Amino acid sequence: MELQAVLMAAGGGSRMTDLTFNNPKPMLPVGNKPLVWYPLNLLERVGFEEVIVITTKEVNKMMSTDPKIKDVKIKLDVVCIQEDGDMGTADALRHIHQKIKSDILVVSCDLITDVALHEVVDLFRAHNATVAMLMSKAHEFTEIVPGQKGKKKTAEQRDFVGVDQSSKRLLFMANEADLEDGLSIRKSIMRKHPRMHLKTGLVDAHLYCLKKAVVDFLTENKSISSIRGELVPYLVRKQFSKTTDSHKVKEDAEDQNQKKSDCSTNHEILISSRDEPLLQLSQERSCWNDHHGDMSEAYHGGKLRCYVHIMDQGLCFRANTIPAYMEANRLTPKLFEEPAVHPSAVISDRCQMGSDSIIGALSQVADKTSIKRSTIGNSTTIKEKVKVTNSIIMHGVTIEEGCNIQSSVICSNVVIGRGADLKHCLVGSGQQIDSDAERNNEVIVGTDQLMEI
Amino acid sequence: NAAPALMPPSFDVMAGKGGKQSRTGSSRKSAAEQEEEEQPLQAVLVADSFNRRFFPVTKDQPRALLPLGNVAMIDYTLEFLTSTGVQETFVFCCWMASKIKDHLLKSKWCRPTSPNTVHIITSEMYRSLGDVLRDVDTKNLVRSDFVLVYGDVVSNIDVSQALQEHRHRRKTEKNISVMTMIFKESSPGHRSRCEEDNVIVANDGKSQRILHYQKTQGLKRLQFPMNIFHSGSDEFEIRHDLLDCHISICSPQVAELFTDNFDYQTRNDFVRGLLVNEEILGNQIHMHVTKDGYGVRVSNLFMYDAVSSDLVRRWVYPLTPEANFADLEGRSCTYSRHNVYRGCGVSLGLGSQMVENVLIGYDTSIGANCHISNSVIGNNCTIGDNVNLNHAYIWNNVHIASNVVISQSVVCDEAEVKEGVTLNKQCVLAYNVVIGPNVSLQEGTVVSMHHPEEEEEDDDDKFLSDDAEVCQSKDKTKQKGVPSEVGAEGQGYIWKASSLDDTEDEELPQCLWGLVLNPELESESEDSEPDGPDDPQIPSPEMDDDKVFQMEVLGTLQRGLEENIGCDNLVLEINSLKYAYNITLKEVMQILTRVVLEYPFQQQGPQLTASQYVGVLLPLLKKWSPVFKNYVKRAQDHLDCLSAFEEHFLEQESHWAAMVKVLMNMYQLEILEEEMILRWFSKGATTDKSRQLRKNQGVEEEYEYDLEETQVIM
Repeated sequence: MELQAVLMAAGGGSRMTDLTFNNPKPMLPVGNKPLVWYPLNLLERVGFEEVIVITTKEVNKMMSTDPKIKDVKIKLDVVCIQEDGDMGTADALRHIHQKIKSDILVVSCDLITDVALHEVVDLFRAHNATVAMLMSKAHEFTEIVPGQKGKKKTAEQRDFVGVDQSSKRLLFMANEADLEDGLSIRKSIMRKHPRMHLKTGLVDAHLYCLKKAVVDFLTENKSISSIRGELVPYLVRKQFSKTTDSHKVKEDAEDQNQKKSDCSTNHEILISSRDEPLLQLSQERSCWNDHHGDMSEAYHGGKLRCYVHIMDQGLCFRANTIPAYMEANRLTPKLFEEPAVHPSAVISDRCQMGSDSIIGALSQVADKTSIKRSTIGNSTTIKEKVKVTNSIIMHGVTIEEGCNIQSSVICSNVVIGRGADLKHCLVGSGQQIDSDAERNNEVIVGTDQLMEI
Repeated sequence: NAAPALMPPSFDVMAGKGGKQSRTGSSRKSAAEQEEEEQPLQAVLVADSFNRRFFPVTKDQPRALLPLGNVAMIDYTLEFLTSTGVQETFVFCCWMASKIKDHLLKSKWCRPTSPNTVHIITSEMYRSLGDVLRDVDTKNLVRSDFVLVYGDVVSNIDVSQALQEHRHRRKTEKNISVMTMIFKESSPGHRSRCEEDNVIVANDGKSQRILHYQKTQGLKRLQFPMNIFHSGSDEFEIRHDLLDCHISICSPQVAELFTDNFDYQTRNDFVRGLLVNEEILGNQIHMHVTKDGYGVRVSNLFMYDAVSSDLVRRWVYPLTPEANFADLEGRSCTYSRHNVYRGCGVSLGLGSQMVENVLIGYDTSIGANCHISNSVIGNNCTIGDNVNLNHAYIWNNVHIASNVVISQSVVCDEAEVKEGVTLNKQCVLAYNVVIGPNVSLQEGTVVSMHHPEEEEEDDDDKFLSDDAEVCQSKDKTKQKGVPSEVGAEGQGYIWKASSLDDTEDEELPQCLWGLVLNPELESESEDSEPDGPDDPQIPSPEMDDDKVFQMEVLGTLQRGLEENIGCDNLVLEINSLKYAYNITLKEVMQILTRVVLEYPFQQQGPQLTASQYVGVLLPLLKKWSPVFKNYVKRAQDHLDCLSAFEEHFLEQESHWAAMVKVLMNMYQLEILEEEMILRWFSKGATTDKSRQLRKNQGVEEEYEYDLEETQVIM
């Protein structure tokens, strides 16, 4: 097995707590499928037969009953971790390191993409990379966020990503917040990679190919807890530090293997000394080089290499905020060709339904309704004269007669009273909306869901 | 209006018209624009380097006239300008202006058929590029965009595309962009890159606007200020693969800007100044990168060597030696394979080999059994037998006797090399020097007929005074014709062997060959140095919220003590911190307890004894008891507080003695209720150590004391 897939599905969805309060993020319905189905499908499509799913007990229970997940053919090896353990992604990898026998492909559960996955893996293979990752142009969310007052915060901290465009090598990574004193790059890096593209409008898809050695490194470096926050920036920086080490490694390789001392300096070496002898031989004998200008060996002798594939076309985003979630619902039905209306749903003939809407199983839609650009979940009842536009209705919702719902998210098991008018609202699960209520730009959740003060 | 053909010959009149034209623009805009298109393209050629890198060679001949591939350098520049469409060139001369003028008047550029009208402007007053451009402004010479170039640039780049882009930018962005710099793509380490001239450029990925421009010599880290990334773009490039061709397309504003900023001396000053003050002045600089053109400035002898080689190897096509583009009579030469060029009347002795990349001027005769490779030999030279030349640049009328070895050296006009002489690498024999016989010049020797000291006297006419010191510090004992050095029949003064060890920045202009920068050595030393702040053991991520909160609470309390802030306000501050870091009430309590208990250590260091500790802590507890009381209310709060208390003392075993007193104190201050202390005591123990802690005599005693007291009260 060349790559083992690891799916990180334990995240709490802290950026959209209003949605994830009752429904954990991996199980949020997107296009009437749980969010976690999408990365599973991605892996399945490219031929993975088994995936290690790191998740919580709660999600595991829900997954085992979900019909969509049952349809997935890929074998799930579920590892449950504590729910409130505050475990980072790197901690999770450390947790399962015994299961890891080869290089790994780590995917986050909120990734929705139609990427040709081989692009990333090919980079990983071709350069014998330590890390290969996926990034994409940031998606512009035009949607008005329910309940958000005022204008969007525009001054977000940007991530600076430096890439050598020709080789796709990842050279630099920093957040604007850490760059108050100015951006500083060592001249030797510029010498080796004289043309660095510095991009700010990228999002990290949280999809990584990692060498097994990195996992070994993690098990010995317990202070790293997050892949994106700590591990990757660390590796990117390490690429260019102390190439003299690599010479030493050659000489000391045997020593190192015999006495495995525990001091942390050795951990770096573990990562870098993984070049198989055969590969090294082929590199020595090949005239191939990854750079122009000088005659030094390929990769300038560096053993630790990070690469990034940047998607410039296609769909790639993470459904980890409310606008992203709404966008996901709108876009994903286009990705998969499935009947817009589930066969078991009962739809009145006199219902106006746009082709850009989908309706889940066992739902009932009555006469004179209009459904446009919306997702209707399973077992949902929509009564007469209801207008649903540009909204997400989750499962088990009842909408009484004459309601008008526009650009809103209605969570599961909500009952909306007769004649209610909701615009740009987010209704938490299990809520009751009074008849003839008029709500605009509000977040309606239970009192227990409010933040503890 | 004035068509180019009707242009009057006098500058002043012409300039006046030009000025008028540009000022009438606003009223008849479209007409003016059209005119601008029709304007002949102008160029400013600065035929002076304003430095003395080629000293002492340039003492006899200005740099622009030095032969490169047997053609004066300025001819390459003029040919480049003409072929790129320039119709009017202003040549600014200072040093040895009359020689340049004579040369140009004789050349094809001043013939009536020349498509490029050359105007020669001389002045002894120019001391920098800045002076030249200020003069351009005063004399109002340029009417529209012009090409700015030095007289030692060899190039075949077609700038018309860059010019078009430049004009387009100026039209769409209302003259914000004032300059387009031309770069050639070439990776670091490329031969034609001048190590001293390496630059790092940060530009906007889409608009090609230059955001940052810096020479990299001597830098290890490259710093980019953050404000350059606030331009609203999301794609930037940082490029180190650019070779500065020293060709720029300038708007007329450039000359004005030089006038406005009298401290701008060089183009570097100008570019840096403009980029730094971009927000104030609102001027931008763009760049144009060419991939396949050739454009290099001959800024030192290394570059001279590199450019000569490239020329002979035909990289500057169509400017090749056999093309005779300068159209000089009798200069045609034949081109045969392995890049061997021969002028007319060249004679080659028996057994002599011209291996490859050799250019030989007319009427030169070469003796028998010579071995010549990668060399340029001028006109009317005589070369004896058994001569070995490699990377040798022999100018005109040079006599080389037999058994001479020359490698990577320059021999100027009229010089004579007698028998058995060896010139090691990087030697220079200036005009009329005689060397030999049978001497070997060590690497980097420079021989000139001028005494190193005499330059001081005629120094003032051109050069800046800071060089004078350097000259004085030089070895003055060198005598004309010291036989051991220039040979028994030799003539000339040895200039300092350009020992690079002690070259400092001021001395830099002195070394003809430029700095020998060993890139490998440099990068290795760079790599072996510690990475500094860039490379911490583990990147420190955002600290735990708890930790930050703890630090903040500590800070608050400290400030409270220093500034005598009331407890109510402290509570307020801690509350706001609690929300800022999203800390639960329970954690607040524990952290607060911990902070207070650790406070003495924090202030006085960890080596406090138990009694000292108590001494410091008790007053503090008294002072802060309202803060505690605010948080410690419910029964659970008391237990939480106690557990933090326990935790602290588990870590500080040596201070168990103090524990009782502290606990007692907290009880007396009514921070902790007795009942809770008892409950904690009887229930709480979970680990061995905490059991041990409770067994601690003092605590037990207190426990008993408490019990008694309870009974008394009851």
